[in-house]
Amino acid sequence: MAKIKKKGVSGNAKNFITRTQAVRKLQVSLPDFRRLCIFKGIYPREPRNKKKANKGSTQSTTFYYTKDIQYLLHEPVLQKFRDHKAFAKKLQKALGRGDYSDAKRLETTQKPVIRLDHIVKERYPTFTDALRDLDDALSMIHLFASLPTNENLPPATVANCARLTREWAHYVIRAGALRKSFLSIKGIYYQAEVGGGQEVFWLVPYGFAQNVPVDVDFRIMHTFVEFYTTLVGFVLFRLYALEGLVYPPRFDKDADENAGGLGAFRIEKDLTIDTFTPAASSSDPLPQPTPSQTTSTSTTLFANTTFYLSRETPREPLEFLLRSFGCKRIGWDGVLGAGAYTEDASDTSITHQVVDRPPTFPPAAEGDASAPPTAATGRVPGRIYIQPQYIWDCINAGRILPPGEYAPGALLPPHLSPWVKPGEGYDPTAALPDVEHGKASSDSDSGSDNGMQEDLASDSDSEPTAPTTTAPEEEEEEEDEEEDEEDEESAAYQRELTAEAAGTNPAADKKKKKEKKKKSKKTRQQREEEDQKEMKKIMMSRRKRKLYEKMVYSNAKKEGEVEGLKRKRRRLEGKGKKEGEA
Amino acid sequence: MYPEIDPVYDSDDTDVEETNTIGNIPLEFYDEYPHIGYDINGKKIMRPAKGAALDALLDSIEVPKGWTGMTDRNTGGDLMLTQEELEMVRKIQMGEVPVDGYDPYAPTVEYFTSKTEVMPLSAAPEPKRRFIPSKHEAKRVMKIVKAIREGRIVPNKPKQEEPQLYDIWADDAPPRPDHIMNIPAPKLPPPTHDESYNPPAEYLPTEAEKKAWEELDPEDRDKDYLPRKCSALRLVPGYDGFVKERFERCLDLYLAPRVRRNKLNIDPESLLPKLPSPQELKPFPTTTATIYRGHEGKVRTLSIDPSGVWLATGGDDGTVRIWEILTGREVWKIKLGEDESVNSVKWRPGREAGILAAAAGDDVYLIIPPIFDHETEAAGKEVLSAGWGYAEIVKKDPLKKEPPAKWSKPSDKLADAGVAAIVTVRITVKHIAWHRRGDYFATVSPEGQNRAVAIHQLSKHQSQSPFRKSKGIIQRVEFHPFRPVLFVATQRYIRTYDLTKQELIKTLQPGSRWISSFDVHSGGDNLIVGSYDKRLLWHDLDLSTKPYRTLRYHQKAIRSVKYHQGGLPLFCSASDDGTVQVFHGKVFGDLMENALIVPLKVLRGHVVKQSLGVLDVEWHPKECWLFSAGADGTARLWN
Repeated sequence: MAKIKKKGVSGNAKNFITRTQAVRKLQVSLPDFRRLCIFKGIYPREPRNKKKANKGSTQSTTFYYTKDIQYLLHEPVLQKFRDHKAFAKKLQKALGRGDYSDAKRLETTQKPVIRLDHIVKERYPTFTDALRDLDDALSMIHLFASLPTNENLPPATVANCARLTREWAHYVIRAGALRKSFLSIKGIYYQAEVGGGQEVFWLVPYGFAQNVPVDVDFRIMHTFVEFYTTLVGFVLFRLYALEGLVYPPRFDKDADENAGGLGAFRIEKDLTIDTFTPAASSSDPLPQPTPSQTTSTSTTLFANTTFYLSRETPREPLEFLLRSFGCKRIGWDGVLGAGAYTEDASDTSITHQVVDRPPTFPPAAEGDASAPPTAATGRVPGRIYIQPQYIWDCINAGRILPPGEYAPGALLPPHLSPWVKPGEGYDPTAALPDVEHGKASSDSDSGSDNGMQEDLASDSDSEPTAPTTTAPEEEEEEEDEEEDEEDEESAAYQRELTAEAAGTNPAADKKKKKEKKKKSKKTRQQREEEDQKEMKKIMMSRRKRKLYEKMVYSNAKKEGEVEGLKRKRRRLEGKGKKEGEA
Repeated sequence: MYPEIDPVYDSDDTDVEETNTIGNIPLEFYDEYPHIGYDINGKKIMRPAKGAALDALLDSIEVPKGWTGMTDRNTGGDLMLTQEELEMVRKIQMGEVPVDGYDPYAPTVEYFTSKTEVMPLSAAPEPKRRFIPSKHEAKRVMKIVKAIREGRIVPNKPKQEEPQLYDIWADDAPPRPDHIMNIPAPKLPPPTHDESYNPPAEYLPTEAEKKAWEELDPEDRDKDYLPRKCSALRLVPGYDGFVKERFERCLDLYLAPRVRRNKLNIDPESLLPKLPSPQELKPFPTTTATIYRGHEGKVRTLSIDPSGVWLATGGDDGTVRIWEILTGREVWKIKLGEDESVNSVKWRPGREAGILAAAAGDDVYLIIPPIFDHETEAAGKEVLSAGWGYAEIVKKDPLKKEPPAKWSKPSDKLADAGVAAIVTVRITVKHIAWHRRGDYFATVSPEGQNRAVAIHQLSKHQSQSPFRKSKGIIQRVEFHPFRPVLFVATQRYIRTYDLTKQELIKTLQPGSRWISSFDVHSGGDNLIVGSYDKRLLWHDLDLSTKPYRTLRYHQKAIRSVKYHQGGLPLFCSASDDGTVQVFHGKVFGDLMENALIVPLKVLRGHVVKQSLGVLDVEWHPKECWLFSAGADGTARLWN
């Protein structure tokens, strides 16, 4: 006989530890444990067998991986937490005595400083690992850069975050790393390709005061930001070094106070790096790698243009985008801050002007540039007036689009997410398939709805608003029909006779009947197939059946969503056509 | 307390009085002996002679001085205390010091005086060094001052606030190998078109969708925003939930348990089992061929006569009706009960005599319907009347226990209608099962406890109940198709009994809560069981007492299950959801091969009334025709 295994010494019982046990083992308070977990990136686990992991109890608890907690035992930061506790006691004592000078001395000399660089290195052994985890860090830092300070959020943190965001923007511009951007209702999404193909994806809120709900725990967010600022700092250091730039870039305080934005930082070349010079000009002329090799053709999209931003446009995202895509000369209204290429709206070198105000003049006909300049419109001839969306759409399309649709005051074309892959789900740019195919004729609205309803009989998500009253009746009728098919044929003659007696046209009736029959036959075939599937399901094991049903359900749900969108579009297009006719 | 020892010759205690050595045990143990223990030499210590009863009485009236009421363990006599001892006990009780002459408040004697003397012990003057600054200290201070001046020591130097940045990844460490316990946080999905500030119009919610979204609990919403359209970028408002969403992401990162889950990205159709197509397994019933209408109320039961021409049905209206199968014409009917429903009808096996057993209320009616030719009818009458004589003889035996049922002749009216005999069981009969030879039939009355099953013999007009004790609520009984074996189904189990040896063979455990019906395969080795908890269970009797297959597909309780007994590999189940499911169920002769079960067809047609659907099914004895009795008052033929 095999040796009897003792219970609770191996496997799930040993590998997992509850949160309370972990806190006891580390001898820290719960908030300190939380901070530690956030810094170290330790997260709870889901044991395969909860009962075994919880010593036979089935109560729901949080489990941690025992080895994670064991590594925490000799973590320098943990020691710092203890030091801080001791320091807090000393400070409290000094303050209690009213010994303020002592308190101040303690504060300046003995306050333990937590360094997180070893954690950054530990969590991200390679630079690529760090870049992979940069999404949340950047989004968080961009949010904190725009938050109001409070007792939990010192101004230094906000300033630090703001500095990091601009440094990041400078790097992205310099490296030409930005790929796509998207204006969402939540904020502006950006995607950049950094450090050899790593895609970094972040969200920047619109420039409004943020609504801070009361149930948000800022201590947790602050702990995250503490780590993220360190991480982003190290990442930026490395990225600047790779670009051959000095980090940190020189900060121009005056420019910042004048709302210089990106211009408040002066990027400098690192002269300490040896630049490679060929020993002799006659030696083989191998093409040498240039610092910014990632520059693709798309980053020079706006290279030959001069932009002017009107005062109602958001300067920061526009400046960032335009600079990232090669635009060197960006002017803006003086209201938007200092550092503009030109603040004079009538500058003749301007090729494009971004306008986002309702037109005070009747919208010009197509061919904006060719429209005759009139003094009344206030337009300067020889430049293209566009709405801000034009820039985003150009970037996502990877080429300069015709600006006609984006003229001020014009109804903008829909702004689509560049991350939805074509062929996945519903594609709003693709033309709808033939209306015949979908059975729904857009001319008769109610009829089409009914038809769709039948199509989506299995779809639970289908709209309950559509007139469904006729559907069940019809179904029942069909059922009857199917059962009494043979009776029917024998009774058909009888019916014909009665119809004749009643004075109706039996031929027309017959025709109708035939049509109906055709329809019912089609549905019958479908139903038979469904029955077949149902019957096959009988022979499946319960587990497989559950899995199958889940898959079918989710597929049907997805398809239902796509169908719903198509149906809506069809109705809208139909309506549009009607209005056009009228 | 012993008196002070005076060190004289007498003080020698070698000849001290004898002591009892019994140890710390109660003296009562020696009550019935003349001695009270043993001395150090092992000699018995005899109990001292007690005074007369009068002495004892006198002692109790006039307590002698020092009397304690206790017995001296050493002598066995009364234990008396001296005056001194009594005084000491009193002092201890009062909390006083027991020893005489002890003063607890005697004045302390100090070893050293606490007063300062006027004259010091030493007259040496204070040394000078106590009044001048220390040179050594000055030296040390000067060292520190020098260090401060030189900048080697910076007083109150603030610690470095800014984390020093450096190239942390300069060493180009190799990437850490992927570990199974290391689960990176999933990235947030990129935004879709509907999140755009200017989405295509079809993404905008309708009023109803908007309302539905707002009414949903925020946790139940599948998206945390509603698509909306802004005609220009300047009109886009701030997003309310930005901080909240970031916060929730933070919580997810450090609080949410992470699990590795592999996603199945396969076509769900590939999960369906590969079964032979029903088209290959024809024939089986697919459509309604005939509807037998006529019953008022539910049709409870039906039966096909052995020749396969007549269908007998019984229903809640108390009538038994006989129909011509092919035409659906009602040929004959009889009303058996006034307010009782006909619970079971069964034709007697064998073609020579057309006898129909119908159970209504407590009675089982043995009917010879006048639809056959004269020969058959006469044969039937003969079979049924043969027993009357025998019954007469048995009745005379007074010692015999009262039989579970009484056989009686019907009234004239019923006799004219075709009833040949009535068996009164006294408990409502729910089910009838015929033995294959047609001489015996069994009835089941579930409420009858130990008399729930009764076996009746036609040839002797005799009834007996095979069980002495109740076996639980019995649902059905069935005879084995060719062996003398009886299957008895209680709510949970099916027991098989050998009728010749009169013993239990096997107990099957289908595992369902409440068996509704079962049927035995014509081969005798397989059994299907239908249960009220929607399950159909296939038992292979050779394999195990547990079911070989458990199928759950009906939405409501299964009422009846039946094998085709005429050689076709078919079986079916009828349920309260109004459907009949037909299966191909092939049993192989080879013991190693399991039965093949293929679902063939769902027969829909019966209307569900009062949550009852199809109540009974029956196969035609030869053809692949199926008959079903529904709660909607019709019986149907399917082919």
